[in-house]
Amino acid sequence: MPPGALEGVKVLDLTHHIAGPYCTKLLADFGADVVKVERVEGDPARRFAPFFHDEVGPDNGLLFLYLNTNKQGVTLNLKTRQGIDMVKELVRDSDVLVENFAPRIMPSLGLDYQSLSDINPSLVMVSISNFGQTGPYRDYKADDIVEYALGGLMYIFGSYDREPLKHALHQAQFKAGTNAASATLMALYHQRLTGRGQHVDLSIQESIASALRDVVNNYTNTGAVRRRQPNHSGDLTRIRQTSDGHILPNPGMGLGLDWQVVVDFLDAPELDGEKFNTPSARLANAEELGEILDRIFISKNKYDMYIAANEKRFTYGVIQSPKEVLADEQLKHRGFFVEIDHPIVGPLTYPGAPFLMHGTPWDVRSTAPTLGQHNSAVFVGRLGIAVEELPRLRESEVI
Amino acid sequence: MPQSSNTAPTAPLNGVRIVEMGQLIAIPWAMKMLGDMGAQVIRMESCQRLESYRGDSVYLNDISGEFWNRGANFYEQNRNKLGITLDLNSDDGLSILRQLVSISDVFVENFTPRVIKNFKLEYEDLRIIRPDIIMVSSTGYGYSGPWSGFGATGPATEGASGLAYTSGYADGPPAMPEIPYTDYTAGEHTVYGVMAALMHRLRTGQGQFIDISQTQTASATVPEALMDFAVNGRIQPRMGNQHMSKAPHGCYPCQGDDRWIAIAVGDDDQWQSLCGALGQEGWAEDSRFSLGLTRWDNRLDLDALVAVETCKWDAHDLMSQLQAQGVPAGAVLDSKDLLFDPHLMERGFYEVVSHHPSTNIPPLPYASRPWKLLGTPAVAGNAAPLMGEHNNLVLGELLCRSDEQLAELERQGVIGYAPVSPRPVQRPPLDEQVRQGRMQRFEADFQEKVSKAYPPAVERK
Repeated sequence: MPPGALEGVKVLDLTHHIAGPYCTKLLADFGADVVKVERVEGDPARRFAPFFHDEVGPDNGLLFLYLNTNKQGVTLNLKTRQGIDMVKELVRDSDVLVENFAPRIMPSLGLDYQSLSDINPSLVMVSISNFGQTGPYRDYKADDIVEYALGGLMYIFGSYDREPLKHALHQAQFKAGTNAASATLMALYHQRLTGRGQHVDLSIQESIASALRDVVNNYTNTGAVRRRQPNHSGDLTRIRQTSDGHILPNPGMGLGLDWQVVVDFLDAPELDGEKFNTPSARLANAEELGEILDRIFISKNKYDMYIAANEKRFTYGVIQSPKEVLADEQLKHRGFFVEIDHPIVGPLTYPGAPFLMHGTPWDVRSTAPTLGQHNSAVFVGRLGIAVEELPRLRESEVI
Repeated sequence: MPQSSNTAPTAPLNGVRIVEMGQLIAIPWAMKMLGDMGAQVIRMESCQRLESYRGDSVYLNDISGEFWNRGANFYEQNRNKLGITLDLNSDDGLSILRQLVSISDVFVENFTPRVIKNFKLEYEDLRIIRPDIIMVSSTGYGYSGPWSGFGATGPATEGASGLAYTSGYADGPPAMPEIPYTDYTAGEHTVYGVMAALMHRLRTGQGQFIDISQTQTASATVPEALMDFAVNGRIQPRMGNQHMSKAPHGCYPCQGDDRWIAIAVGDDDQWQSLCGALGQEGWAEDSRFSLGLTRWDNRLDLDALVAVETCKWDAHDLMSQLQAQGVPAGAVLDSKDLLFDPHLMERGFYEVVSHHPSTNIPPLPYASRPWKLLGTPAVAGNAAPLMGEHNNLVLGELLCRSDEQLAELERQGVIGYAPVSPRPVQRPPLDEQVRQGRMQRFEADFQEKVSKAYPPAVERK
């Protein structure tokens, strides 16, 4: 395997949960050398469901296993003086430090940017937080649903007359992690050119709010406030149920739709004629149109229809369950899923490269670390602490 | 350089030149982010095939005149770019593009592979004219494989990735938000991919091909669901806003029309605080709700009780009250709330951008970026280009075409300043959209409100 794109980049990873670890996973999976520092009891994400065979255990959390590939793992107690000193020692020869504590924590530990920059002026320090390092919500608490609400994505998600929704799982965290990885490399690119480090302030709320297309510009351009759409809006691209799941019809890219082509493709003469053949007619008869479309699609097989439509260059989509994603011929061809053999849970199937870099491929060099797995390698090998010192550090609960 | 007059000297990507052949969001949004951070992005478009967002929702909902220079969604995705037009079906157009690539660092596109193959603009073609070029192709399903020829929209990739299936009300079908959400997921990963390739190029001098499947980027963000099936054979049912272990965890109604608050109670302390804030100390004693596990078991009962109380509150007041006591809570912000949110305003999240005088669009605030690089700020925002706005600058100054040559290219239709056959989207009047429920409301005095909160910054150069 050729070297990764980020070969030689040294990252000190003080992150936990999801957003920070996804950021450092992206860095590690593309070649950076990442040392993950966990509290002595471990990253709380080790206890996030789902688990390998539903058995709770520090190395059984599937999300943790996924988020921490290619990282070396050490433990440090940041509530001890020596733990802090060891972090500072690691900062000395790191390019990047990523953290996602609440904004008041790092300064309270004496690990604010200024102090770390005094130790290593070329350090890129990336702070990921719910609402950023400044502003009135800085110390607000949040999890994914609160980010969806305050980021503006929730209000336009769900049914017109029901409560707004969020995506399942942890999308806000993954978005922020991706953005943080990008911002890290922007600052690092500058560091490689000038030798100068800097502090990067990454907000999860703003990660949502920077990706909303026309939510705000509807207001700034017309004074209109968007909301969740009514059930029957004449919208041809609404998700429809099929005999075997759901499909996403889309008879073209909007401009210049030829209605006859739609009628022919769906083999639906009842859609023929003036009642439906113009956008305004479809809007006026939206409810009836919706009912007819529901009736047509319910008898179809989603994959047959998806393939047939795309062969005619209608950009239909297919809604795939996790089972179907795992069996997807396209993803198989792309080699998306990979098997990774972990020393404790054994070989499991993981999602792999989010995109393909042909010159410097995504690669798995090592599995998520067990708790403190690389204490000796990092503390002895990199910090030059004597091997005999390690038991004493363990006793005094520094590691 | 063309951008030197308005680019802060310290922007981190100064000196990087990108040629963009993008459409809609996935690539344009990503290149906007790189342009904001100092890269020179030259966006190429076609007069023959109008970019969809130039004809989508437009300023004041007015589709008369040069509507293609007033598209709100176009402005949203294309800040800080130079704009040129080229007809790639002409030999001259193609050779100009190739010449541009030969002096650029990055070439990005998001068409189906068929288009790029037809124009002979694949990586293997481009590395002949620029050996260290970084090329990005962003497609719905990837550049290779049985579905590679299929076009895709954001909702299609959200569906294929597994994300849509997993999301939705507990008793309902799969659901997606009403924006092409995974276009952004792809765009975010594209920014990262370009930066990783630039890092590698800086160190080794080597370019490469980056093949982005928008579906794959989204699947990479739902590992819990995919691994749960791969490892445990389980597919979790849809859960709406419910959490796997926390309760109460949901979105509850507040005072007013369609006003809501999200609340996420994570532990017993937060639960006690919630009961106190809502004046329901009795709940705290109720054995159904005394432990995290029992609250979760009784979460539907709990949701119903909480909703009765939240209805008595203004969403923002309740958020302040709960947050003051350490309970994670957030008002569900709509379009206008976002723009006037005191936190986002204090952080300068929305940045005022001035538009070309010919558009008659006043300076308007736009969402900026989720990051602040405190040592190397973003460049001052320049509005997205008019069609062909920088033809003279790029083709003339950068590629040394004479005025006579430019005039000849225009005469032959290789470059231009307007779509060949403009066909705007018909927009229903705003009051009609409100009546149909497509918009929550519309405020006639919005211009005054926006310009008061966001006065023009510096004049556009």
